[in-house]
Amino acid sequence: MAAVNEERMQATEQLQQDLARTAETVEHPNGLCMVTASAKGEIKALHLHPALLQQGARAVGEVVTETVRLATNAAVQTSFNRMALALGDGMAIDVESIAGDSPFRSTWNPVVPPKSAAPEAAQERRPRTPVVEDPDEDAFFENPFGRR
Amino acid sequence: MDDDVERAARKVRDVEQAVSQHVARSGPITGRVSSPDGAVTVVATPGGPPQQIVVSPAALRMGPQGLAAEIMRIAEKAQRSASSRLHHTLERVVDPRELTELGFAPEQDEDLGWRR
Repeated sequence: MAAVNEERMQATEQLQQDLARTAETVEHPNGLCMVTASAKGEIKALHLHPALLQQGARAVGEVVTETVRLATNAAVQTSFNRMALALGDGMAIDVESIAGDSPFRSTWNPVVPPKSAAPEAAQERRPRTPVVEDPDEDAFFENPFGRR
Repeated sequence: MDDDVERAARKVRDVEQAVSQHVARSGPITGRVSSPDGAVTVVATPGGPPQQIVVSPAALRMGPQGLAAEIMRIAEKAQRSASSRLHHTLERVVDPRELTELGFAPEQDEDLGWRR
């Protein structure tokens, strides 16, 4: 029993060091902002796409705020996952009962899709490949349904 | 083991209740910091992501890299301000040493944009 407690103490100490370093990088669903944030909400890195600035000052503020929140949630979730790996699922559930649900559990809502702060970047339209009426043999071999 | 967890949970609930009552009187604890020219304003929470980031239209002229750097700089200041305010608000109900250990330092800096 003492050995188990000692093991848990060591795991907890290691975990505290890991959590202090935990940071996650998340890209906003619109692809125009990328944030690396710690589990405490500190912004470690921020990358803004020039196209985001073209959407106006308000959109920039809202998209960055939203992306930092997503990155922080991801870092907190990683912390929970590492804790479960280090201390076991039982201990992780105990910690959740004290500290509150992990982001995965508390933010997962499949009914209401998340509302984006800014419209998503328009996807480039790929021109349709023109159908060429080519009697050449090569064209025959390009058609997989024509093969025997 | 279950007793330990239950005891810890009860202690957390007691502190949470004391903190909630205190915060209900003092209002939400946030740190609000703006760049000197008003380009970026961040409202931060202690130990969490920023609540609001406001960018002025003029700030867009800084370009993506310049603006990103300014947002990071102001967000860091705002979070330090929020942590400091939390420390000063809760030092009467929670051991100040524990607050500092949790990362909520009692920093007092006029540059952070608030005074006691």
